[in-house]
Amino acid sequence: MKNWHLRDIILVTILAIFMGVIFWALNPVYTLLAAALAPLGLQPLANEILLGVWVMAGPLAGFIIRIPGAATLGEFLGAVVEMFLGGIWGASTLISGAIQGLGAEIGFAATGYKRFGWGTLALSTLTTTIVTFAWDLLRSGYATYHLNFLLLLFVVRLLSVFFFGGVLTKLIANLLIRAHVLPTTNR
Amino acid sequence: MNPTIKLSLVILIAFEISFTQVWMVNLALLIVSLLLMIYAHVSFKRLLWLTAVPLFFASALVWSLKLQGSTTPHFLGVIFTRIFVYVYLGGWFSQTTQPLALARSLEQNAKLPAKFAYGFLAAFNLMPKIQAEVATIKAAALMRGQVLHIWSPQLYFKVILAAMNWSDQLAAAMTSHGFVEGAPRTYATTIPLRHRDWWLLGLSLLLVQLGLFCGLP
Repeated sequence: MKNWHLRDIILVTILAIFMGVIFWALNPVYTLLAAALAPLGLQPLANEILLGVWVMAGPLAGFIIRIPGAATLGEFLGAVVEMFLGGIWGASTLISGAIQGLGAEIGFAATGYKRFGWGTLALSTLTTTIVTFAWDLLRSGYATYHLNFLLLLFVVRLLSVFFFGGVLTKLIANLLIRAHVLPTTNR
Repeated sequence: MNPTIKLSLVILIAFEISFTQVWMVNLALLIVSLLLMIYAHVSFKRLLWLTAVPLFFASALVWSLKLQGSTTPHFLGVIFTRIFVYVYLGGWFSQTTQPLALARSLEQNAKLPAKFAYGFLAAFNLMPKIQAEVATIKAAALMRGQVLHIWSPQLYFKVILAAMNWSDQLAAAMTSHGFVEGAPRTYATTIPLRHRDWWLLGLSLLLVQLGLFCGLP
């Protein structure tokens, strides 16, 4: 297993900042979507639809850097970037960032940081969904929703996280492997 | 206040009120953090922004919980005030703390290894360059008639290549300027960690515990 060196630390931070900058553009979309869904009482759906985008830094960092803690650190630093860029959620961003990163980390840890392929990514998206959903059950009062609505929220979140954290991350990794900047082994 | 202590205080409180349901404590916390922000001369425009956005999201969430769930007005009040506490506490922290001071404090006071503190700082100083790079990548693609969306792998691919390139160069630059991982360092600027900081942390946490567990609604 690799250890953290200066280059990896800078890389994970730069990656997190890049993701933060890209997703910064998405904030107005989130607000508009939430505003459109709010009158029907469906505002949390906006959150669920876009959640995959926010949690993407975790799987991506974990997949590229491949050091224990990379997914957590990548996602957490993304949250720090968001906070200092002027994101309004402040302290709760940091907590959510750490929790989202941990969720992704469990997936990579379960395979001992040895296998980096579809299976690991899919597992990582599942653990991310479960961990972040459990957090929202407490924090955002999701626990008081009716069961049907709760299931809808969960499924939408899983799909979103699977698309961005799984499919998109894998497509990006494929490009990187073809460009020979990531090792081809470990399917 | 020492940046590390301030960060711990904000995170501990935000974490704790995520589990507890006492709206009066939430209300007290949001008033205190609002006063702290006013005391720190946070601009009126920023305060307005920090109020308008959570007002919308908190109302929308409460409305949604009311329509789609079975809940009590008390719980809705807790959720509503909780969102404001997150935003105001976080606003107080990020508006009164410099990233440089935080990194230095984490290294000196919290004993974070220097390679992390300086690695983070080196990367954070690239922020404007990173923002420009994203714009450049998008513009370059547009010139060839490609629109890069948030779901385009090519966008991330190019971004990651740039990140790898820059991290190699930055790490090499730091090493060539004499930075050695794990070597003992002296500090040009020391961040003080006073007894007062510990007292403030302890007393604030104690007050919050008293409020949370003395039976307030």
